[in-house]
Amino acid sequence: MTYTIEKRAVREWLQKLLGTGEVIAPVRGPCGDVLFSTVHLPDEVLWNFENSLPPPKQLVLPQTDTLLKINRNGDRYEIEPTYDDARRFLLNVRSCDAKGIAFVTRMHEMEPADASYLRRVANLTIITLSCKVPCPSGFCVCTGSGPFLSDSYDLQLTELDESYLVEVGSEKGDSALSSAPSLFRVATEYQVSQRKELEIETKKHFGEETCHFASAMRRISTGRVQDSLWEEMSEWCLGCGGCNLICPTCYCFSVKDLGNDGAWTRCRMWDSCQYAAFTLEASGHNPRADRKQRMKRRFFHKASAQYYQRDCAVGCVGCGRCIKVCLGATNMPAVIGAIRKGKWND
Amino acid sequence: MWGDRLSQPLLRKNEKLECVSWDEAFDQISKQFRRLIEAGKTVGVLGSARATNEENYLAGKLARVGLRTNNIDFSYHCLCLPLFEGLEDVCGGRLPATRLNDIASSQVILLLEGNSAETHPRVASSIMKALEHGAHLITIGYRRTQMARLSSLHLFTTPGKEREVICGLLAAVLELHRQEQILAPVRGERYEELWRNFEKVERTKEFRQAAEWVTRAERATFLLACNGGGGDHVRMDAAAFASLAAVTGHLSKTGSGLLPLVAQSNFRGAYDMGVTPKRLPGCERWDDAQARQRLQGLWGSHLPPDQGRLAEDLLQSANGLIVLADDPPAVLPKGEQALAVMENLELLVVLDAFGTRIARQAHALLPIGSFAETDGTVTNMEGRVQRLRAAVSPPGKAKPGWQVLAELCVRFGVGGSFGSAKDVLHEIGLAAPQYAEVEQRLADNEWSTAVVENVDGARYSVPAPEGIVAGLSSARSSHVLVSEGSFDWGRDPLVMFSPTLNRDYWSERKLFPRGFVEMCQRDADALKVSVGNRVRLRSAHGEVVVPIKVCGDLKPGVLSVPYAFREELAGVLGRGSVTAVSIEAL
Repeated sequence: MTYTIEKRAVREWLQKLLGTGEVIAPVRGPCGDVLFSTVHLPDEVLWNFENSLPPPKQLVLPQTDTLLKINRNGDRYEIEPTYDDARRFLLNVRSCDAKGIAFVTRMHEMEPADASYLRRVANLTIITLSCKVPCPSGFCVCTGSGPFLSDSYDLQLTELDESYLVEVGSEKGDSALSSAPSLFRVATEYQVSQRKELEIETKKHFGEETCHFASAMRRISTGRVQDSLWEEMSEWCLGCGGCNLICPTCYCFSVKDLGNDGAWTRCRMWDSCQYAAFTLEASGHNPRADRKQRMKRRFFHKASAQYYQRDCAVGCVGCGRCIKVCLGATNMPAVIGAIRKGKWND
Repeated sequence: MWGDRLSQPLLRKNEKLECVSWDEAFDQISKQFRRLIEAGKTVGVLGSARATNEENYLAGKLARVGLRTNNIDFSYHCLCLPLFEGLEDVCGGRLPATRLNDIASSQVILLLEGNSAETHPRVASSIMKALEHGAHLITIGYRRTQMARLSSLHLFTTPGKEREVICGLLAAVLELHRQEQILAPVRGERYEELWRNFEKVERTKEFRQAAEWVTRAERATFLLACNGGGGDHVRMDAAAFASLAAVTGHLSKTGSGLLPLVAQSNFRGAYDMGVTPKRLPGCERWDDAQARQRLQGLWGSHLPPDQGRLAEDLLQSANGLIVLADDPPAVLPKGEQALAVMENLELLVVLDAFGTRIARQAHALLPIGSFAETDGTVTNMEGRVQRLRAAVSPPGKAKPGWQVLAELCVRFGVGGSFGSAKDVLHEIGLAAPQYAEVEQRLADNEWSTAVVENVDGARYSVPAPEGIVAGLSSARSSHVLVSEGSFDWGRDPLVMFSPTLNRDYWSERKLFPRGFVEMCQRDADALKVSVGNRVRLRSAHGEVVVPIKVCGDLKPGVLSVPYAFREELAGVLGRGSVTAVSIEAL
């Protein structure tokens, strides 16, 4: 079912949501940057903004995620799993980021399923705001993850003239409306057609970034990318791991026991497959000691047919963040382009 | 999450560190320092390149007004001093700087390498951006580093012979000026004098090509790695490199410039705040009468009349020392020796966020906030003052460093009342002329403001050419051992106490707990050794036995040891960073 809500009524709806759970939305940071953060007042929420540099992924996959509590009791150890069951609403998330969360969720649903992650996501309602203006470096049209969505959301909002169109994608979405049913009206056919036109129009305004995954996939999945190309490309990477840390679909982690003697928490912490020590083994051996090997691994995971079959998607949502943060020149479109053409910097 | 955080003021009582109140700690420290000063003993303060400007400024004021001494320095300064003296010979007092954006828009970049892709990724990133726009990168170094592999021209040198290349480039530039009547910045008699000295210096085809690019570029940047190592050759290398920038006209031109690549984040800030015995806040010489008068007026106190001691010397001679977030054993070339002499200090006060090795020897340990727990400013390497805001509170009873230092200042009768980091910044603006407008510019929610301008064209001077050419020799030995870099990755507290960052370090230490030397495959084959096999190195200084690693970046005859293992190889390295060695397999 599709509804509309008057723009002026949104405030009241948010007030109701704030009473039901934690609302996380884009806000303006102290230096003017956009950040996803817990809001306390409806007016803090941004409705017209360029997407934040850190994706809201950290909401489902915190940088430091406590999995277990470990306590020493005499000569025994007591282990207790910890869960985060808080009810949350992720508001005004962009289409690419909603797709990113869906990607990461699919991975955690695979056997053995990750209970800690899934319980957190089960209580999360994702309310997307479709993009009427493409990001300057976005290429979500190449990855099927925007600017408008047909899945991966609980509610999808689209800005019309005086109202927002509200598409319901799940029961959680329905329930988010039920806190203020009087504010929502069933959308007219005209309003639904307006949204379709907006989608067509927006797609005409994308920038120059393109990313042809299909032909790159054929080459990378069939061993047609020369090692010398990986070597050449890796010279343009500085190994900072920035691409991993801002990527909505990356989920590499390492595990640490934090705490003092007798009481620890076992934590899952973000890590980067581009760091030399990521694959370092206890013996001191490192199967991916060279940067070119690490880079090859990263893009094989992102763009090979093997992973496409497993994940039902390429490991990229076209948000363009890696273009912004890459200290070198090995962002997703650049590398996919080089793989496709078989050469770097032509 | 980060181990060994200090959260309580501690005083040593009966050989044990015991928790005390802040008041008791301050009382004891001021009482005992007074006793030392009255007895005529040597006291001093170490600031730090990882403390904020506010902390460093107060540390300097505490030393000069409270302790009545110019014994104020920081360990990393000792490491870079020869390099800075070389730059000073050419550029005058302040450290030259170039903006990263200028590097990115350069047409030519001349890089005297350490390993900038590893040590200065932001600089390397700007170089890459310039390369993408078609710039020429010229690298000079003994290792085929990532930047060297990306360069348009890599000029190989033997370690310690970098000046041969720089002088060759200088000669090629002067030759080009002569041949093509280019309107050079150095003219007339000065030029003729230079030319007479450089005329006979060897100029290869590569040097001429590089000279052509640099001379004809409208915007060129000169980047100089700080590889540590003492001695005149570092100073002369730096002077020669800066002279090359000056002679090509790029030292004082907008969009061009010279940038020394030093480690540690607030190096420039510490230098600007006068945390060295030779400089007052604002980088003015300690004995400059006008600057002294201005500061005396501001501080309401006479400045100490005697020149202070450098950190290395101070550690040897001091009886009482206050150390702000500095860690001499982790920074100084002779770190272990520094640690040993610090055991003899009658009074050691350490202000730090972490339980460093010297913190364990302290008589008083004052816990301060880390960079994320304090307000303040730092001045980055391009001379941009950046604002820090406390994101979280310091743990336990720890306080922001500026606050602890401000309270210490009160106990030592130093004037000034500081209720916030902003108050300190305000006074910095009065003490250091180039910081005069910083407070105002940062007030409107700005996060940064630049304080370094290009080197004043009228102020730089190319040193007498014999000062640059002297000591060039063609003597070659079979192998040269070089200590690489100036940053001990595994021992810097910000890295050592981070579980994620220290893995690289531990991985190296795990495999090679007593250090290693790197050599190329050809050398390893000739010696019939492979990774982990031990070799004996002999030099004029002594001998050591050490395992080897093979590295594809090195040329035959060059052996390299990371700065982290400098002390394991001190037996052959001696005091310098480069030495001729003979090698045999065991």
